[in-house]
Amino acid sequence: MTGAGEQEKAGRTVDDRFRTSDADRDRAATLLREHFAAGRLDAVELGERLAAALNAQTFGDLRRVLADLPEPGPALQQPCRLQPDRGGLERWYRRLLACYPAAYRRVHEEEMLAVLMTAAPSWKPRPGIAEAADLIWGALRVRCQPSRNGAEPGWRDALAVVSVLLPLIVFVTTVAQTAWFLTVVHAEPDAFSGRFPPWLLNALAGSLAMLALALLRLQRTATRGAVALLIGLAYLAVSSYQVGAPDPGQLSTIAGPYLLLALGLQMVAATASRGPRRGLQLLTWKHAALTVIAAVTVAITSYPWTLIVIPVICAAMVLTSSLGRWLLVLLAVPLGPYVATPNLYASPWGPHMGLYLAPLMGPGSPGPAGQAYVLAALFLGVFVIAACRDSLRSRRLARPSQ
Amino acid sequence: MSELPLREPTFLILTALAAGPQHGYGIMTDVAQISGGRVRLRAGTLYAALNRLATDGLVEFDREEIVDARLRRYYRLTSEGARCLQQEVDRMRSTTTVAARRLRLLGGTP
Repeated sequence: MTGAGEQEKAGRTVDDRFRTSDADRDRAATLLREHFAAGRLDAVELGERLAAALNAQTFGDLRRVLADLPEPGPALQQPCRLQPDRGGLERWYRRLLACYPAAYRRVHEEEMLAVLMTAAPSWKPRPGIAEAADLIWGALRVRCQPSRNGAEPGWRDALAVVSVLLPLIVFVTTVAQTAWFLTVVHAEPDAFSGRFPPWLLNALAGSLAMLALALLRLQRTATRGAVALLIGLAYLAVSSYQVGAPDPGQLSTIAGPYLLLALGLQMVAATASRGPRRGLQLLTWKHAALTVIAAVTVAITSYPWTLIVIPVICAAMVLTSSLGRWLLVLLAVPLGPYVATPNLYASPWGPHMGLYLAPLMGPGSPGPAGQAYVLAALFLGVFVIAACRDSLRSRRLARPSQ
Repeated sequence: MSELPLREPTFLILTALAAGPQHGYGIMTDVAQISGGRVRLRAGTLYAALNRLATDGLVEFDREEIVDARLRRYYRLTSEGARCLQQEVDRMRSTTTVAARRLRLLGGTP
């Protein structure tokens, strides 16, 4: 019951626990705008406090929003300047504006709201469908535009982080697979009849190429794109050796499709984002640790354990930050099917985890194997489009005037 | 992204700002007026375009005002923006000149 005394002083008793009505919230919003007009609040504070006031459940919530502002002067005790039924429309608009990125909203929410409210006819109870669609579409466009002052949209930042993490994951899983392979060879010396397994070459080439791409400090998108394309083509050439000679009983398909997806994603990540350096700036130990734990889990545990550990890591990832949510979605591209498909070759739920694309890439059937390469080609296409758009754009902006 | 030819909303926004700094609602009414009421920008379209133009350096923040306890943010054309608009005007003029000349020829030779 803090502050009940003040309320009594004001002539009426309102408990902080009482629920607020729409009219109460609108009155608080008007007070905040008056304080803003008087210069006591800046635009960012106004936005934050308005959001808090319009979501207030109790009088206590409203009091906290107004706590450090002086008592309303005579001008503020006049009835609301806003017509009472406009509050509903304003709340609708705020809900739609919530589609915009947070950084954008901090700067532009009040301004856009002013435009929306000024343009809306006074009788309008809520935004029309076309108007709502326009705002949502606008939010999507703003989210997809790169920003100039370092505040990048979430997916772009997540791609930058992925371009650092993915080589790490691939390296960890490759090492784990190699270790496992060596134990198998140790147990059954004649399983591979002494020759170097092509999939191992494949896996090492892929992960080394990705590491190289991540570590090269290439500043320009076009250069990054060209190098990525070269690495991708070289990798496809290396992997095509093994497609012709699958080794169905054992490990032949372990590295191929998994690495193709990972490499494709890595190329998209390195070209469409601001690159691994930006990723390193953003990467927190939390995300890196969770990702590496996930990769190690996939690599060393058997199937049922993976199914238990991965969701826990996913939940932790989602809860840590919005960047974590994006990372999860992106990392699901190579890691997801890896976990989801049971092993079709070995004894039930064995640790042969690289075979997740088995439905696509059956043993000894080069036809379906081609489908994995269709996926890779898809990734390549996306990356080429992204690279071209960016380089065209920078060239156009750099073009000297006539 | 602001390659020529400019998309019509972009062209009209730049044209509106060529008269001097304007705030969001001012741009909307001005665009409606310039286009004879044909193009009515909505807030989502306007601000997505402004965001892109600001990113490309064609438009910049001018000043803020508070009117009726509401925030108004004014934008102005940069020199880069003026140059871009000029290029678009030149491009349109050259095509319309050719079109007009050929229409005249068409009229002269039945």
